[in-house]
Amino acid sequence: MNYNSLTRQYFELAPQVGVLEGSDTYRGAAGSRAHGTWVQFDLAVQQEEACAVVREARFLAYGCPYVIAAAAWIAKKAPGVQAGGALPASVLALQQRFEAPVEKLGRLLAVEDAWNDAMKMWRGSMRSRP
Amino acid sequence: MRPVYLDYAATTPVAAPVLAAMMDCLGTDGVFGNPGSASHEYGDCARSTVERARAQVAAAVGAEADEIVWTSGATEANNLALFGVTHYYAKRGKHMVTSRTEHKAVLDPCAELVRRGWRVTYLVPGAGGIVEPHQVAAALTPETVLVSIMHVNNEIGVVQDVAGIAQVCARQGAWLHVDAAQSMGKVAVDFARSGVDLMSFSAHKVYGPKGVGALCVSRRAGVQLAAQIFGVGQERGVRAGTLATHQVVGMGAAFELAQTLWIGELPRIKDLQQRLSQGLMALGGVLRNGDSQNSVPHLLNLSFEGVEGESLLAAVAPQIAVSTGSACMSANPEPSYVLRALGRDEQRAESSLRFSLGRFTTEAEIDVTVSVVKQAVLHLRRIGGAGILGA
Repeated sequence: MNYNSLTRQYFELAPQVGVLEGSDTYRGAAGSRAHGTWVQFDLAVQQEEACAVVREARFLAYGCPYVIAAAAWIAKKAPGVQAGGALPASVLALQQRFEAPVEKLGRLLAVEDAWNDAMKMWRGSMRSRP
Repeated sequence: MRPVYLDYAATTPVAAPVLAAMMDCLGTDGVFGNPGSASHEYGDCARSTVERARAQVAAAVGAEADEIVWTSGATEANNLALFGVTHYYAKRGKHMVTSRTEHKAVLDPCAELVRRGWRVTYLVPGAGGIVEPHQVAAALTPETVLVSIMHVNNEIGVVQDVAGIAQVCARQGAWLHVDAAQSMGKVAVDFARSGVDLMSFSAHKVYGPKGVGALCVSRRAGVQLAAQIFGVGQERGVRAGTLATHQVVGMGAAFELAQTLWIGELPRIKDLQQRLSQGLMALGGVLRNGDSQNSVPHLLNLSFEGVEGESLLAAVAPQIAVSTGSACMSANPEPSYVLRALGRDEQRAESSLRFSLGRFTTEAEIDVTVSVVKQAVLHLRRIGGAGILGA
């Protein structure tokens, strides 16, 4: 299979791979290894004057090169993104950016679901704050 | 630099002496006549060249020259065997037996036979990939016309006891076809002594050209075939079409060469496979697919825990040319049906690589392969969070 240079780059280098620890870190995951795709994001969120933003992001991923590349790219682009917001790029935009075949769309959804899960954790923690 | 080639089970480069023999058939000074032309020297010369190649192939596989039918490859040979026999003997019954780990060139004709009203029993091999003769015996019925079991499995390298299966079939009066596309040059092949009735071969797996193969049809057993290609009646009316002289000459030369070299090559291939296996097993979480006691050393099929198949292949592909056990390159990703038939779960089937070694594989290439695969697996396991709490 021919992967474009962006996919190759993010798949091979996998920047931002790993986990984050700390009270300001929110973890979200989606998919399962048994079904071939699993993604986890750790998002460190900091409160700024007007709103909360993602300060740092790390990812782990089990899946095809498109899933790994997309998760790595999202983790790199995440700093500065408003907490609680949507994925920095839509799944369709990711598919186009990485020139993934259309049948990979379902797998890329795990990237979005993992992001949303992390954001859900952040929103949950906001609600429980005194 | 080109990647290390470890996909000899897919195809092999044409050996230099084979190429030279083929070149002698091409060009204005070559043996370019139609082997079917009986009215001039050009045809006579081509015909005798083709017959010499037939004799070479027959000698290499332990058959008589007049038992060899030229085909375009093992796929056509398998199709000719399955459709030719079932068509000819349809009045005897409409049942055949095969195994779930056969090549698609057997399974797809079986599916077509089912569409034509035949009943096909698919045997499930043991966890190591072996189909036992008693399994075949239990599946045979008075209506069974044909059994088709491959000799050396193309994914896991397991060698079936075709002589034992042949005895079972002979007792019941069922014909036995064996797909031996992977056998020549890897294991001893003796068509006559094996008791097999039909055997398929391919040239390009044995350092010969693509586009030519053969079906051995036992004269001793008197097996008959209904023609599947009609025309001028070449190949004793079984397979019409002008023979490609240079191709069959290439197959003859390749089989003769393989027969001369294979025993001498075996210890070196075994050593290389052991070096590869030990190097990769050191990673941990590496599982071998197929019965190692009953396999050719040329094939090594391994599953790597904690990595996804397509990513593994993508990570190693720039530096080594191997096949994945899964068909994940296709639009509809599906793990290897062979590994699934052996009871491997989807993840293990999907994360497998087939390394196939050959005549030109070197120790240095094996060392590069071990290094590249190790690096790729460790990288992917790290990305996948192997060993990380919470992953």
